[in-house]
Amino acid sequence: MSAAQGALGRTRVELAAAGREARAAWSWSATLWALAFVAAALVPLVLPEGRMADLAGFVYLALAAVGLGYAVGLAGIPSLGQGAFLGIGAFTEALLRAKAGWPLLPSLLVAIAVTAAAGVLTGIATGRLRSAFVAVSTWILSWIVLLLLTSFPRISGGAQGLVLPETTVLGHTVTPTGHYLVALTLIALAILALAVLAPRGPGLALAAGRDHPAAALGLGVAVARSRLGVFAASATIAGLAGALGVELAQVADPSSYGPVLSFELFVAVILGGARLPLGPVVGLAVISGFRHLAEEIGGFRGLPPGRLEEMLTGYGMLLVLGLGGAGLLPAARSWWRSRTPAVRTSSRRAEREPARVANAEALLARGLSKRFGTLVALDGFDLDLQPGHVHALIGPNGSGKTTALRTLVGELAPDSGTVSIGAAKLEGPSRPRTLLGVVGTQQATAVFADLTVLQNALVGAGLRRQYAGPFRTVFRTPKARREDGVAEGKALEALSLVGLHDPDRPAAELSAHEQRLLMLASALATQPRVLLLDEPAAGASAAELDSLADLLDQLRDSGLALLVIEHNLRFVRRVADRVTVLEAGKKISSGTLTEVAADEAVRTAYLGRQRLS
Amino acid sequence: MSVVVQVIVTGLAAGGIYGIFAVGYSLIYRLTGVVYFAFGDLVAFAVFTALLVAAGTGPVSQTSLGLGRFLLGLAVGLVLCIGVGAATYVLFIEPYLLRGSTLGWVASTLAIAFALRGMVGAVFTRPAYVFPDPFHFEDLGRNGIVTIAGASVQIRSFFVIALAAGLAALAAWTLERTRRGRALQAIASDPEAARFVGLPVETLVALTFGLVGGLAAIVAVAAAPSAPFTVDSGALLGLKGLVAALIVRFGSPWAAFAAGLGVGLAEAAIDNMGGLGLGPQYGELIPLAFALGVIAYRSLRSEPAPSPA
Repeated sequence: MSAAQGALGRTRVELAAAGREARAAWSWSATLWALAFVAAALVPLVLPEGRMADLAGFVYLALAAVGLGYAVGLAGIPSLGQGAFLGIGAFTEALLRAKAGWPLLPSLLVAIAVTAAAGVLTGIATGRLRSAFVAVSTWILSWIVLLLLTSFPRISGGAQGLVLPETTVLGHTVTPTGHYLVALTLIALAILALAVLAPRGPGLALAAGRDHPAAALGLGVAVARSRLGVFAASATIAGLAGALGVELAQVADPSSYGPVLSFELFVAVILGGARLPLGPVVGLAVISGFRHLAEEIGGFRGLPPGRLEEMLTGYGMLLVLGLGGAGLLPAARSWWRSRTPAVRTSSRRAEREPARVANAEALLARGLSKRFGTLVALDGFDLDLQPGHVHALIGPNGSGKTTALRTLVGELAPDSGTVSIGAAKLEGPSRPRTLLGVVGTQQATAVFADLTVLQNALVGAGLRRQYAGPFRTVFRTPKARREDGVAEGKALEALSLVGLHDPDRPAAELSAHEQRLLMLASALATQPRVLLLDEPAAGASAAELDSLADLLDQLRDSGLALLVIEHNLRFVRRVADRVTVLEAGKKISSGTLTEVAADEAVRTAYLGRQRLS
Repeated sequence: MSVVVQVIVTGLAAGGIYGIFAVGYSLIYRLTGVVYFAFGDLVAFAVFTALLVAAGTGPVSQTSLGLGRFLLGLAVGLVLCIGVGAATYVLFIEPYLLRGSTLGWVASTLAIAFALRGMVGAVFTRPAYVFPDPFHFEDLGRNGIVTIAGASVQIRSFFVIALAAGLAALAAWTLERTRRGRALQAIASDPEAARFVGLPVETLVALTFGLVGGLAAIVAVAAAPSAPFTVDSGALLGLKGLVAALIVRFGSPWAAFAAGLGVGLAEAAIDNMGGLGLGPQYGELIPLAFALGVIAYRSLRSEPAPSPA
């Protein structure tokens, strides 16, 4: 009894918290959204029933476009296969209903499952490809589905297509208006889910993988897995839209699924604006405007409307691309935003201490070697990184410093040698290493340019989250919400530590040095034990160098083990406890800077033999 | 035996066209990293422009056309093809390449394809067109057909094969032996370095986008009279050329051309294997599925790459 009461009480508290969050997040634009949805739901009252089927068909197609927006917008995957996935969903449904005589619901579930499986398989098969090849493979997939459907009449019912029995639920026939309301609900949910996901954990991880895959991997983002997931989700939504679409049409037409449909949906997403949840719907509305225009002109001039539609769609897309390609909706929004200039604050480091590093451990590398063809980039390299010490790695250009760092963080696999932290051996890719607290930054400036400063740091802070999966995030479970707060706290702390105080500023607007600080903040937000920095001081002014050196001092004192690759020896003298000198992949000297500077081998490496002779 | 000869001749004739397309796809991919989705439709645009100038949009009788009018049509078609190919590259593809936006150039190449196809389709409204034949192959042999080892083959097929091989050789020779060709190779290996040593990179690349279209259009026009040509034919030819180019990973001109011939032969062979449960409905499907399988296999065997961009 008391346990039940306790559970009830907790539920009430959580619901109240959720309500508070919803109220806090509520804005005039949310009111507008809700009103738009209500208005759309009331359309059947004014539109004659005869027109509802067309409208419902449009919304189902728009649902598939929103689904494609998940892959294209969130993850930047150029999928040209959405028409194929629609076709797979539609014909699975049609075959089960028309030929096998299954009832509505089971066949719907199977159709969705089959499309999801097709999406997962395609995602796995193309997961490691460069984007260009993803586009080609999905394009070929669209052609294959079209050919399968059109040249095998036994499967697809030939030119007449497959005719479905009437759609009934609990004995009632589903009217076009019913379909419209179902479609509207589904698309509203899909848009809402996208809007919830995009600025939170899973969406940020996808955006990070899209904007800078190497940097995302370096922060421990499971790039491949999240891309596969979003691709499969995108295909699944298409399958759902396709299956419900044939229920509405009552007939499955084999020639209507394929490359042309894939192209139209892709264009809809880009035309309307891939990054905004509503973009694909706007894009598809524009395309169907082209269709009506083509029918008008075609009827008037005696021209084939299908061709005119292709032409208008092509020209419309080219027009948007010629104007910069941001899409209609983002263009409208940035025009609106540009009328209200944002306020900027300068960056200065806060007077605060970083938190102590929990269970600090030394990182030990033994005998690391790495060859690229005949070039020996790293040759039997040993390194000890002690907690509470700054270790500088110096050496001439091309001496293997960056190779050493990339090998330590798992970006490169060494040919031989071991890396360990405490009792744990570090092997394989970056993610397990970042989880063990070994994190490195990229040599070039590598921020996620389309995200804000805070969102960049949140990508790092997302590493140790347990409840940040897509489902928990979409349903805003209490644990996910609580963790959101914790992650934001960590991200803001890391930002204020490095001195970035404008969390909502787009990362692309930062100066080169600020971007390096942001990379450092993102890395700190993962709560590392060992931090490896590749030229953190590049492009810094004298004052910025001072401030950075102070920060490194603080981090050292917090118990972090630090490795810094640096060319500026004055800066090295200021921050480093120990120095290791690399030359041609070999460690030629190690010790304090003074000891190292006195070393004959080092003098030779830096100054050349001629000057010494 | 007769079937084998039949398959080889028709396969090589079709494969020659695919091969020229594959050469073009490979060249463009190596120069820019772009998969040129508009290629097939650019060629269809050139072919139909040539038809428009030579014979108008009405039904054409195969014999009614003089060589002069035909050559004029072909010339206009080629010039427009090169112009449109180069201009669309500069306007819509290059800006996105410079930004490193794959989504951008995928969208623009597809949009160019559909704009061209829709435009041609709005002018040429019949389901299919018979192309005029200025060389009068039907006067040779028996209505243009000879019998070899019991197989009846079109004499035109040999002309198409020879022409395609000749143009592929010309492309390879241009690339390897001429100044312009070596410039293109330099751009392919390092565009920045090529720009640094003073090569007009933009102009050369833009011209290439048009020239590969012209090259493929010549072969397509030569082959067109042997079968009805539709507005969508260009896209299909392009697709098969793309399949060939993918199989050899956008390799050298010779490799791409050979792959095109292979795709043509495979298609002809599968079309004629009705007895083995295959047949024409598989002829287009199997090469596509094979290419997709090859891509997937390479992808799964490759190291997990951190750079999908």
